[in-house]
Amino acid sequence: MTDDPTGGDRSSTEPLLEVEDLVVEFATSDGVVRAVDGLSWSVSAGETLAVVGESGSGKSVSSLAVMGLLQTPPARIVRGSVRFRGTDLLSLPRAEHRRYCGDHVAMVFQDALAALNPVYTVGFQLTEALVARTGTSRREARRRAVELLDLVRVPNAAQRVRDYPHQFSGGMRQRVMIAMALALDPQVLIADEPTTALDVTVQAQIMTLLAEIQAERQMALVLITHDLGVVASVADRVTVMYAGRAVEQAPVLDAFTRPAHPYTAALLRSVPRLEALPGEDEDAELAVIPGRPPELVALPPGCSFHPRCQRSVAGCRVDPGPALRLVAPGRRAACHLAEEQLADPPVPVAAPAPAEEVRGG
Amino acid sequence: MGRYVARRLLQGLLTLFLVMVLLHLLTTAAIQLNGNPALAFFGDRVPTAAQLQAVSERYGLGDACYNQLGNPCVGPFLDRLAAYATGDFGTDLRGREVTEIVAVAAPNTLRLFAVVGLTWLVVGMTLGSLAARYRGRAADHGIRAGSILVDAFPVFVMLLVYKFVVTVPMSTWARDTFGAESLPALLFRPSFSPDHPWATVLVPGVLLGLAGSAAFIRLVRAAQLENYNAEHVRTARSKGLGERHVTLFHIVRNSSIPVVTAIGFVFAEALAGAVVTEGLMNVYGMGGVLWSAVRDSDVSVVVGIVTLLAVVTVVVMIVVDLLYAALDPRIRFD
Amino acid sequence: MTDPTTSALVAREADASGPGGPARRDPSRSLWSEAFRTLRRRPSVVAASVVVLFFAVVALVPGLFTAKDPRRCDIGESRLTPQGLGAEHPLGTNVRGCDVWAQVIHGAQPSLLLAFVVVGASVLIGLVLGTLSGYYLGWVDALTSRLVEVFLVIPLLLAALLALSLFRNVDLGTGQLASILQPALVLTAFGWMGYTRYVRASVLEARNLDYVTAATVLGASDLRVMFRHVLPNAIGPVTALVPTAIAGVISTEAVLAFLGIGISPPAVSWGIMISEGSEWFTPGTRHLLVVPLSCLLATVLSFVVLGDSLRDALDPKLR
Repeated sequence: MTDDPTGGDRSSTEPLLEVEDLVVEFATSDGVVRAVDGLSWSVSAGETLAVVGESGSGKSVSSLAVMGLLQTPPARIVRGSVRFRGTDLLSLPRAEHRRYCGDHVAMVFQDALAALNPVYTVGFQLTEALVARTGTSRREARRRAVELLDLVRVPNAAQRVRDYPHQFSGGMRQRVMIAMALALDPQVLIADEPTTALDVTVQAQIMTLLAEIQAERQMALVLITHDLGVVASVADRVTVMYAGRAVEQAPVLDAFTRPAHPYTAALLRSVPRLEALPGEDEDAELAVIPGRPPELVALPPGCSFHPRCQRSVAGCRVDPGPALRLVAPGRRAACHLAEEQLADPPVPVAAPAPAEEVRGG
Repeated sequence: MGRYVARRLLQGLLTLFLVMVLLHLLTTAAIQLNGNPALAFFGDRVPTAAQLQAVSERYGLGDACYNQLGNPCVGPFLDRLAAYATGDFGTDLRGREVTEIVAVAAPNTLRLFAVVGLTWLVVGMTLGSLAARYRGRAADHGIRAGSILVDAFPVFVMLLVYKFVVTVPMSTWARDTFGAESLPALLFRPSFSPDHPWATVLVPGVLLGLAGSAAFIRLVRAAQLENYNAEHVRTARSKGLGERHVTLFHIVRNSSIPVVTAIGFVFAEALAGAVVTEGLMNVYGMGGVLWSAVRDSDVSVVVGIVTLLAVVTVVVMIVVDLLYAALDPRIRFD
Repeated sequence: MTDPTTSALVAREADASGPGGPARRDPSRSLWSEAFRTLRRRPSVVAASVVVLFFAVVALVPGLFTAKDPRRCDIGESRLTPQGLGAEHPLGTNVRGCDVWAQVIHGAQPSLLLAFVVVGASVLIGLVLGTLSGYYLGWVDALTSRLVEVFLVIPLLLAALLALSLFRNVDLGTGQLASILQPALVLTAFGWMGYTRYVRASVLEARNLDYVTAATVLGASDLRVMFRHVLPNAIGPVTALVPTAIAGVISTEAVLAFLGIGISPPAVSWGIMISEGSEWFTPGTRHLLVVPLSCLLATVLSFVVLGDSLRDALDPKLR
């Protein structure tokens, strides 16, 4: 997405990690399913990109493809490229791809309890890659592990490196997960629903931590989430996914105040908020998106979203569906009616107030 | 951890005691139903009451309770416990000490077990890992089909076919080619020879091990597959660790936890397999001794040996449990 | 022949240590219909089912296949080689001159009957004890666990050897049921432990499920909760063990017969035929071993294939 202007003021213009026209298919017993269909995004140093979508929209699959972690088979990368500083990772042999990612791109997974190995101490896992890759001594590794835990503000780090994952609380475990991702000083951090499994109060702490670390190290952060509140508070740009495709890409504030795709608009309407929208009844029920996310085996013809779309017209059912196109400066959407949607009255920012504080930290 | 060990040991002792009670009740009921086994001492002769009483006394069967059906015979049981406590496991019908019999027989069985265990471990781990690694491909299907086939084949039939079909031509050929005392000739001897305890036990042991490894292969495969798809393995890969490191440290290490639990079961199974194998290949081992003792209604030998085997089994089970705790910190710290 | 519960139990341990391990045991019917759909498509399963059905019919109505009495033997016609279909003795005769075809047909009944009785009784005991100990825990559980361990310490074959020879002089009559009663009792007495452990684990898992808690909170009686909510969860995984267990008992019967205990003559079983045949494994009489052994292998193999596929279908993660 070279023509995308950057939304954040701190980011440089040179993209660090670029995904282009990525297509991933899965062989299932019901036939081949296209989980990611022509996805492109890019992220630069110091920038936060949010990839938003319902479960099954392909957001996690695409990040696994970036890391070379998809199981092939059943998964198959049909085409596309993932470039880190110009090197196409997908063209590398898989072992090299993973090693490359180990050095430069790190990932934080959703469920830290499952993502950490239950039989090794946290200290071992924090520095496992360091020791295995660089032959660091045990003592040095121990020191580094304590340092990493300190960095993510786990109290009593010197003792806790000897503990096992099940002895940590959910929030602390996610901090360990983040510390582990930072062990090799990555330039890009992909966080896949890093707070979904946590308590609401802990969620905010973890997001604050991530935002701080990102700002401090000028890392590129790719935040995969379905939580629009989180997106508004930390992201610079957003890519909204639906049924394996990107349907809208825009700076986060633009997308949230004046969505260009009806799906984005519908998502925003379904977020509970404290104040009613202008012109909306105080007691109005929360808007829901009618229908269900589509089955990937049997996508509707034309625009995948049309059966649930309020604006849908006859043209939306015609193949091929709308392609992602420039609809306003710096904004792309995959909708025939994007201009109409943009003409709608703006929506107040969805994010809760403390968001700005997090962003500034 | 210390409390865990202590509790496990106590449980083991209790189990052992209950096993002995069970054994005692079984043999007592059998004697009460079948009549005095001391009669076997006299063969076809009909002894006088005094003679019978004297022989019965010698074998600890003199108590009147053995003639009353339903009597649990607590007295003799306590006597036996006391005798066991002093290391006296009684004598067989010919007056030979049970401990002495075991001293001769046990090494042969242990040799068989060593061969069986090694085969079992090597074949099971290798093929199980291979099947998991190449899941869904030809290698996987082949290994699974093979293991099912072997599993369906009764061990004794396998040994029978080996003994009657393979050994005779093989050992004749080996004797003619390499000489009677050569290793190949010994390997394929149709029966055990105490002069060459290792060579003559090798092939039957490997066969028994192969039969046992069939289920173990499937188990290792299942345990490893579980981990191949585990999220923590994905995390390890995301750290850029090599596939060999990931396999060794995250897949094999984690799948060893369920695999270890199988050791206890397989040990018990090997014990049962030993009875058939030792009987068929004429190995003078625990299984063979037990088998002939059962046939001769030699109560004190049967009870003595089964008790000893139970002790060993209980110890193995405790070791497995401790190993389990050592391998899985989630249990250790509970 | 391994106790099928062992591997299943171990697979379950793996399950618990895996990601999001427990919780996914769907009691709904869709699991079963899904499993059935997968199974129907496998040629090996279809073939195995055909073999099992065939031998089941043979065991139920042996009269359909032979009019001869396997116990009426003419010593003058001993050790005849197979004469082919339609002849007087299609598969020849054994040492005592009994018709091998008639024997192998009638031998199916005790072997299969024993297997079904033993597995049925063991599963029943397992379900009852496992549910009770998993549901009530406390002293009930402690007692059951100890009992399980006591019986586990003595391996099945050793126990069978011991018990069957100790009581071999006890006369129980000569009927079909009477001839399998002793081995059935012993094999059940030392075969129920695996199911108990397995059911207990399932019940432990199920009793923490939300709908079970809800039923308890709503004041459903213990019995009702156990039967309506907890047991259905446990039955699925146990069912997958049954075919393999049946195969195991059929093999064990053969071993017992070979050791001279087990189903007692004059009843004819495959195990007895195999052990007799193995003594005459010489040119000219090889069929005495080969015929019953083939039947045994075909049946055992079919049951093992069925069990393996069933377990796969009910636990797709192991595929």
